Amino acid sequence: MTSTDKEAMDLRAQIQQYLVESGNYERISNKLAQRLLDEGWMEQVKKITRETMEDDNTTNFSEVLKRVEPEAVNLVSSNTKDEIMQQIKAFLYDIVDTQ
Amino acid sequence: MTVASEKMSSLTIVSVSETIYNNLITSMVQDIVSRITSQKQLLDSRYPDMSPLFYDPQGKLDIHGQPKIQESSIYFRCNNCDRDISANRYAAHLERCMSRGNRKT
Repeated sequence: MTSTDKEAMDLRAQIQQYLVESGNYERISNKLAQRLLDEGWMEQVKKITRETMEDDNTTNFSEVLKRVEPEAVNLVSSNTKDEIMQQIKAFLYDIVDTQ
Repeated sequence: MTVASEKMSSLTIVSVSETIYNNLITSMVQDIVSRITSQKQLLDSRYPDMSPLFYDPQGKLDIHGQPKIQESSIYFRCNNCDRDISANRYAAHLERCMSRGNRKT
């Protein structure tokens, strides 16, 4: 790992830390959860999880997660994703200097 | 908080946002998957030979895969007069049976 990678990771951690401390992380997280619940994403993921357990005949968490996670991430509607990304970006523009 | 601009060379606002968003989504997926899998594990260990509820797309059979039983062929024992009464006439029977019982006493 190069030193710039290290710095980048530090920076990312720093930003997350600040997001949490300012209470914005909770706000964004709650909003995302609410939107996903409203659009039925939560139920869809639960259904996919059950079907995966049945198909593979396993209840092993990491095995099931490996199969479900990519699909679940894709299932988020672009509306919700854009809106949340917009909010995160707006927050970052406020606190970060860019070139 | 301000961040020195030279540090931003390998990072962009978009990529950091993407990371934060991915963290949020994956932790939610992990939360759901872990809840469902442990729930299933609990059910499996508690009821080893549990079969899922029966589903009939035609809507004719119940959750045990059985067709509907005619209520008129089921009988209840009436506690008041000790007779077997057809299930779909039980309410009507009670109305008369109970009032007759009252009149007697």
